[in-house]
Amino acid sequence: MRSTNPYIPMPVEIVKITDEVDTHDIKSFRFKFLNAEDESRFQYLPGQFAELSIYGKGESPIGIASSPTEPGYVEFTVQRAGAIVPGLVTAALHDMEEGGKIGLRGPLGHPWPIEFLEKKNIVVVGGGFAFTTLRSLVKYMLHGDNRSRFGDITVIYGARTPGLLCYKDELAAWEKRNDIKTIITVDKGNETWKGREGFVPAVCKDVAPSPANAVAVICGPPVMIKFTLPVFFELGFSKENILTSLEMRMKCGIGKCGRCNVGYKYVCSDGPVFSLAQLEELPRDF
Amino acid sequence: MLKKTTLNQLSDLAFALMEKGTLVAPVRQNAGFQFREITDAKQVDLNFHNTVISPKSVFFPQTEDFVRYKTGRPVQEAEAVEPQGKPLILFGVRPCDVKSFEIMDIHFSGTGAVDPYWQARREAATIIGYAFDVGAPAESEEFYQTLGIGAADPEGSDIFMVRHGDDLLLKSITGRGEALLAGIGGLTGASADDEKYFDDTVAAGRDFKTRFTCVDAKAITKKLEDLFHHTDFWEKASNACLSCGVCTFVCPTCYCFDICDETLFKQGTRRRVWDACMFTDFTLEASGHNPRTKVYQRLRQKINHKYSYHVRKYGVISCVGCGRCTRYCPVNIDIFSIVEEAMKA
Repeated sequence: MRSTNPYIPMPVEIVKITDEVDTHDIKSFRFKFLNAEDESRFQYLPGQFAELSIYGKGESPIGIASSPTEPGYVEFTVQRAGAIVPGLVTAALHDMEEGGKIGLRGPLGHPWPIEFLEKKNIVVVGGGFAFTTLRSLVKYMLHGDNRSRFGDITVIYGARTPGLLCYKDELAAWEKRNDIKTIITVDKGNETWKGREGFVPAVCKDVAPSPANAVAVICGPPVMIKFTLPVFFELGFSKENILTSLEMRMKCGIGKCGRCNVGYKYVCSDGPVFSLAQLEELPRDF
Repeated sequence: MLKKTTLNQLSDLAFALMEKGTLVAPVRQNAGFQFREITDAKQVDLNFHNTVISPKSVFFPQTEDFVRYKTGRPVQEAEAVEPQGKPLILFGVRPCDVKSFEIMDIHFSGTGAVDPYWQARREAATIIGYAFDVGAPAESEEFYQTLGIGAADPEGSDIFMVRHGDDLLLKSITGRGEALLAGIGGLTGASADDEKYFDDTVAAGRDFKTRFTCVDAKAITKKLEDLFHHTDFWEKASNACLSCGVCTFVCPTCYCFDICDETLFKQGTRRRVWDACMFTDFTLEASGHNPRTKVYQRLRQKINHKYSYHVRKYGVISCVGCGRCTRYCPVNIDIFSIVEEAMKA
């Protein structure tokens, strides 16, 4: 019996690396558990995260980008940090190749509230590389076993440039399906871009998803969230029906190390998923 | 069960306790008294008011190893350092510090994920509490009575000790304490007068005055929530603060920690170390964003955590009024004065 000590990482092997963007600083890493016991213990839902652990470098909390409907592996999309502070773990991970082994602790945090989302129309709004746990949610909802549990699904996803869109093949596949409405936008296109141009908030206003029996799930850079939330108010979404996911610096990921609090909530163990109604009760300390 | 010995025979008692497990007790050191693992029974010294660092370090050491690894070797070869609870006797703990263990238990093992290291050590420990001298005035920094803690509260201890002149009275409070006390030779039985003295001391401890009047946890929680955006108040309160973090290190209920890797000549250790919300980079994110770059934001975090967030989350104030943060602050910031000012603001 292996340790159930929550501070001890489980060993995993990188089985696939996908270079997601043309700036090559965002990659998806697909991991396979080295111990079958760890794999069966790692039961997660979309919206949760895990600590990626590289001995000698440290740990980084990263949202899970794969869906539990894809058995056999777990995937994370990781940006190489380091523009401002040294991103030791992400840099080391980016320098690794398939076959490399690291540690994993999790799953951590609360998932998107799947039961709450059931039987409702879901509007998924993502910006840039913050789309990872939303991708997990969309894949989960689109799975044959789950699709009928949810109403209409609308995805509005934007990036600064066409080359910065993640999961391009999947987006193309979603655009072809008739059980999901996929709207892709870029802040600024290029000579080959034939899709929409425009910032996510403006596109949301333009698409104007109905608030009737609907929940908006929004993840993106702070500036996008700041301008997108008012759009959804104006459309008539209630604060309970607008969900987002917070980030704070974390260490333990299990609500013990005291680092990621916003008011009396720990983002790691009480979140990272919060409704806007919940966020408004907390001090602006994030 | 009430037993008795004399302070002259303290080292005999210490010696007997060392046979029952690892003994951790107050020891006189250059900087003041500290809890230390006892290797020589003569080191134990009860002529102290309180220790510099709180006894939390017995259950939550300043550094502790989680994993030992070698760089360049497969990750599966890393060796987990699993929690070990070896029988331990923690001797001479003041009632406010005993109370801190209960507050820390709620966080580390009573709610949400269980911290296995804290839990293993706590379960293996026997606490021998020690009443403050209720015949002398409290030190000016202390305010445990404000928080409802008496100077001689036996609750939370397995055995509780009261000093009576040159005698030391030891009373078992729990079954674990009774078993330990029954197994120690060299103690004498206590008289009815001793019983009365013990009970009178506990009662006197409840009325023992420290600073300030009592605070209502709910009222202070609400008040601090309302004051959050009053930047002027927090800037004034933190004006002298150096962000040195000593208040958090000496505190019996501060639990923030970092997990960091230290590698030397390819041999490495992943360990937990105490950290402090008073440090600038405590909340610095990989993106470069930092929600608490200013001193006032960090002091506000510390005080709100103890008197507001902790109450909202766990139902208790995360402070026992031991006064260490005020006593050791290099610029004389007094946490309770800030709380008092907040109530008036």
